[in-house]
Amino acid sequence: MADLFDIQLLHMTLRTVVPVLLAALGGTLCERAGLFNVALEGMMLAGAFGAVAGSFFLGGAGWGVLAAIAAATAIGLILACLSLNLRANEIVVGISLNLLVTGLTTFLMRVVLGATGTFHHPDLKGLPQWSPEWLQAIPVLGRLLSGHTPVVWAAYLAVPVLSYFLFQTTVGLRLRAVGEHARAAQTLAVNPFRMQYLAVVLAGVLTGLAGAQLSLGQVRIFQENMTAGRGFIALVAVIFGRAHPTGVLLASLLFGLIDALGIRLQGVGLPSQVTGLLPFVVTLLTLVALRGRGLNRQGTA
Amino acid sequence: MTDRLTEGLAGLLRPVLAVLLGLAVGAVAIWATGHPVGEAYAALWNGAFGNRTFLGSTLARSSTIALAGLGVAVAFRSGALNLGGEGQLALGGLAAALFTIYVPLPGPLPLVAGLLAGAAGGALWALLPAWLEVRFKVQLLISSLLLNYVAVFMASYLVSVPFRDLSGGGALAQTKLIPEAARIALLPGTRMHAGILITLALGLVLWFVMMRTVTGYEWRMTGLNPDFARYGGVNRVRALVTAMLVSGAVAGLGGAIEVMAVYHRYIDGNLTRPGFAWSGLMAALLADSHPLGVLLAAFLLGVIQVGSTGMERTTQIPLEISSVVQAVIVLFVSVRIGVDLLRRFRGRRAARG
Repeated sequence: MADLFDIQLLHMTLRTVVPVLLAALGGTLCERAGLFNVALEGMMLAGAFGAVAGSFFLGGAGWGVLAAIAAATAIGLILACLSLNLRANEIVVGISLNLLVTGLTTFLMRVVLGATGTFHHPDLKGLPQWSPEWLQAIPVLGRLLSGHTPVVWAAYLAVPVLSYFLFQTTVGLRLRAVGEHARAAQTLAVNPFRMQYLAVVLAGVLTGLAGAQLSLGQVRIFQENMTAGRGFIALVAVIFGRAHPTGVLLASLLFGLIDALGIRLQGVGLPSQVTGLLPFVVTLLTLVALRGRGLNRQGTA
Repeated sequence: MTDRLTEGLAGLLRPVLAVLLGLAVGAVAIWATGHPVGEAYAALWNGAFGNRTFLGSTLARSSTIALAGLGVAVAFRSGALNLGGEGQLALGGLAAALFTIYVPLPGPLPLVAGLLAGAAGGALWALLPAWLEVRFKVQLLISSLLLNYVAVFMASYLVSVPFRDLSGGGALAQTKLIPEAARIALLPGTRMHAGILITLALGLVLWFVMMRTVTGYEWRMTGLNPDFARYGGVNRVRALVTAMLVSGAVAGLGGAIEVMAVYHRYIDGNLTRPGFAWSGLMAALLADSHPLGVLLAAFLLGVIQVGSTGMERTTQIPLEISSVVQAVIVLFVSVRIGVDLLRRFRGRRAARG
């Protein structure tokens, strides 16, 4: 058991948790603005594809990140337009968008990148890994914190930033007011749609980064449906973390640790299917432990 | 025009318009790949209806989509957002395969037993999220969704290790072949099978149960307005549990028929990769969870999917275009464009939410 937990495992956890954490932070903003965002999975997948396409065609990981954000935000805007302006059911739209993105990214991978199943290419530039010498010099912490991509740093930085934004700024207050009682906010001249659109666009940036970390950070490939349910785990992290950035961080870290542990256990000989279902079982068990106390909403439309 | 006729026409106009818009978006995608749109859609039509074999594949695929969709429809009408069709369908198929292989029965019994085992497998798996919701207040929407991953990994493990067929070198993760007596008759040279008749019959039965029986009424009332249903003496827990049991059973039957008619064994990924469950969900959304409408919508989706396989063969346009067209159709239906347009046509003001 002792050699299961070590610095390397924690290093891996810090890294692998990032896509879920970023998506969950995006989901938190939507949740706070009163939009139940089931499309996190699709937005992240669009981001992962955008990152690879952008990096490959424009020749740099920076372009990849921008393309990822653009792709994820586009999906978010469709969700907002259909469910807010055209009053469609947000869950139905979210599910449909997930299916749309799954099909569209596979279609585009074949048409634009000319690959089936998995796309990889020696010229595909990944995100840089940041390990300055002064950081490596620090005894234990150095090993833990070096070798991460800028997106990993951005994800952890986003936690206090979003906490401040949501709870200390006027715009954050307005955004939460819209989520709690749209009509009341409206009487105070807050435009609910504007706040919800803001939340969706910020969620687009965050899920776009999540996708970029997934396809250009952890690996340098795009794979059909490569998010593999991470967007849904992020959704649970939002509930588990009570839509509070710090809570969401802790929830994501728990799920990430299980995930990293699973990969480690696979090396010891546990079948991949068992380690694959581990995060989902743990996620379900946390929901059972919460007994519906996570959020004060029904989730049904 | 009477109001009822207006509503009926609006109900029809919406999906038709959505399909046209979906095909229009598909046309843009085809045009972007540089192929002539007319030729591509002709290839799609030919791929779905061109000959006996193609037509058989279209009907077989539509049948499985319809069963998944009927399951979703029962749950949705009862207010249970059951997104667990994938797991229920896969475990139904696995249960049917394992039961018929390892429990030898005389005469035509394996056929019946296989179908029942499939329905039971799906029903039990659907019971789990219902129980979690009733007992632990875990949102059914999320638990059923997460349980898909658990079911699919579990089924994959079961056929990769303990129940793997090792006879032919064991290169593939699959079970042994099911006995002859458990196989559903196929029209030779096609995938057209007798299970299609079961699907049609089940569509009619579920329509009757939903619209004409007390159970169906309780389901619908629970779905429309849980408070009103409780006030009227409906046991919400019982309505939820029975709806989920039926929902899972129908999806499980879909998996069982796919195994017993088409593959004659459970092959890892064969029930999940084609996306039957998600197509079924789309069919239910398209038909607004009306059982007879689900049959029609499933046929439409079957045509698009099998047709685009044919289109890929002749034009090299990736078949994933079908997923795009389908999702666009469902998105258009979701915003109720048909109703709004018709209202505008008749000079009425759209109801303000």
